[in-house]
Amino acid sequence: MSNIYLPNLARIVKTQNETYDTRTFEFELVDPKAKKEFKFKPGQFLEISALGVGEAPFGLASNPNRPETFQVTIRAVGAVTRALHAKKPGDLVGIRGPFGNGFPFDEYKGKNIIFVGGGIGLCPLRSLIEPMLDARSAFKDFLILYGARTPADQVYPGRLKEWEKMPEIRFGMTVDVGNADWKGNVGVVTTLFPKLIQTADNTVVFVCGPPIMIRFAIIELSKLGFKPENIVSTLERYMKCGVGKCGHCAIGHKYVCVDGPVFTYKEIGKLPEKS
Amino acid sequence: MDRYIIRKDDLNRWVEALARTQEVIAPTRVEKEIFFAPVQTGIDLNLLSGTAVLPYLPAKDLVLPHSENLFKFTKKGGDYEITVPEDKKTTVVLGIRSCDTSGIFWLDKFYQENFSDCYYWQRRNNLTLVTMACNQPAKNCFCVCCEGGPFLDSEQGEFDIQLVDLPDSYLVECKSSKGKALIEANSKLFAKADPSAVKTREVLEDKSRKSFPPDPTSYMSAAIRRITSNAVTPETWTELGEKCFDCGGCAFVCPCCSCFGVGYLNEGEQGCHYRFWDSCDYSGFTREVSGHNPRGEKGERFKRRFFHKLSYQYLKRDGRIGCVGCGRCITACPGEVGMPSVVERLRK
Ligand SMILES: Cc1cc2nc3c(=O)[nH]c(=O)nc-3n(C[C@H](O)[C@H](O)[C@H](O)COP(=O)(O)OP(=O)(O)OC[C@H]3O[C@@H](n4cnc5c(N)ncnc54)[C@H](O)[C@@H]3O)c2cc1C
Ligand code: SF4
Ligand code: FES
Repeated sequence: MSNIYLPNLARIVKTQNETYDTRTFEFELVDPKAKKEFKFKPGQFLEISALGVGEAPFGLASNPNRPETFQVTIRAVGAVTRALHAKKPGDLVGIRGPFGNGFPFDEYKGKNIIFVGGGIGLCPLRSLIEPMLDARSAFKDFLILYGARTPADQVYPGRLKEWEKMPEIRFGMTVDVGNADWKGNVGVVTTLFPKLIQTADNTVVFVCGPPIMIRFAIIELSKLGFKPENIVSTLERYMKCGVGKCGHCAIGHKYVCVDGPVFTYKEIGKLPEKS
Repeated sequence: MDRYIIRKDDLNRWVEALARTQEVIAPTRVEKEIFFAPVQTGIDLNLLSGTAVLPYLPAKDLVLPHSENLFKFTKKGGDYEITVPEDKKTTVVLGIRSCDTSGIFWLDKFYQENFSDCYYWQRRNNLTLVTMACNQPAKNCFCVCCEGGPFLDSEQGEFDIQLVDLPDSYLVECKSSKGKALIEANSKLFAKADPSAVKTREVLEDKSRKSFPPDPTSYMSAAIRRITSNAVTPETWTELGEKCFDCGGCAFVCPCCSCFGVGYLNEGEQGCHYRFWDSCDYSGFTREVSGHNPRGEKGERFKRRFFHKLSYQYLKRDGRIGCVGCGRCITACPGEVGMPSVVERLRK
């Protein structure tokens, strides 16, 4: 019987600072067999541990089509995340997973696609954006909207610039507060909606970001005619096991770690507790 | 299913024989309380009679210890060596009551679905349950409302061996290979049961079922419907939550509660990750690092506990409600919000 609580060791291949408190880590599993077998779906997450300090869930942020190494973007906020930030390339961490349902990639084929990301909320969406771009012709219109508090709070700045230039996607970016160098849009991400969202028909929209952003985005999207079943998000909950056993992440009879973290707003609306 | 008879004074001989090759756990009096504890000989037959006496804690710690190591690690240069503890002990629980047996079978299902939990199963697979039917329920019992007892159904019920206290012997119902092994190794102590013993069993079960209070504390169905359809007002949850002391006692004594936390230890070059009983009553159960807490209010936590136990959503998933009617939370709760009083409030 496999042991669901036993971590695999992974080595940090490289790190990349995103903002003052957020860093992207690229990992590779140490055991060659585990490395070969490692696969994940967009939207799934890992339980990553600094052994002896703690373990926490992090959304996979890289392209599932290239699972030899994989990335997560981690914001230093507490004991575990700080211990992870203290690690350098070559150091080892514990990895369990991938866990969670992930995005049902094939269901979105033939549809218009919109991403609405806020701050670090872009990270889990990236594991869906990249494989969709690999199969770009399977989707219709492709729009990415990204908002951050300030230009310094943007994650993946290099990749954002590439997306901005790609002819096969439409792209909009904004910051709440600009600075002297910022020539782009200023305002919350919903201010981009009227300019760039063309239709709610045959369109699915992925929303991920701070709770307040999500709330306003849902209000505006509803006004534009989006139905709850076509608005998709990922939920976050305090988690301990990641495998549906410890009970911490339960909302009603759903376990975010197993039944989620990806939910449509239709599903979220049916939960007997506020999400 | 096979049926035997064992004489009352042979029960101890059976225990002695079993204890030579495995651990035997039975209800044991410790000062004023009763606990499950290892026995070798001289078991207390008063605690193994048809009259229900429940140990203060259920036997769930035999499958889900209060605290257990998930793994240990030792740092070796830049590398780690990880070791997993093993528990290969075989154990027989003698005199566990119907409700607690039902609780363990309920946990089985939960610990099997989605991802199977190997720590649970290494103990569970080595555990045999010799359950004792209750001819006379105790004051707080309401298992009859939850299909937790007082007898387990000979055909459909889940147990290894069920003992029934007949006037001068025990009827022994055996339905699993694990149970069979315990009998076959000591076959001299057992005789085939004759039809009159089975007849007596039926009479005793019928009498027991009718001896619950005429107004059993829990008629569950209204509470189930109202929780399922979210018809209980937030005010009612708040009112109930106000009586809760956040002590977690109900979860710890409950045979069906199994939530756990995970802790981490680091001492020099080594350490471990371990899990321990936790409770959804605690405000820290869902508090996130930002301080945001989706169940920051007592009423919300209270709703959570009873939604898990009584909603149809869970009933459908798990095949039964998350209460076996043992009544322990009535004893444990300092705020008088154990299962029956909550059900009574909710069905109003
Ligand atoms: C599905 C999912 C995906 C996530 N993806 C990312 C991501 O890509 N990048 C990122 O930076 N953060 C992510 N988070 C949040 C991240 O898990 C928390 O920031 C992290 O747990 C904080 O741990 P800490 O030890 O540093 O903080 P502490 O306050 O010291 O936390 C101690 C313990 O609390 C638990 N905990 C505290 N807050 C949370 C929380 N919000 N969610 C779950 N467990 C918590 C952890 O188990 C941790 O061991 C995600 C959370 C979830 C549920
Ligand atoms: S909820 Fe209370 S009565 Fe029901 S099984 Fe748990 S402790 Fe026993
Ligand atoms: S994190 Fe343990 S049940 Fe979901």
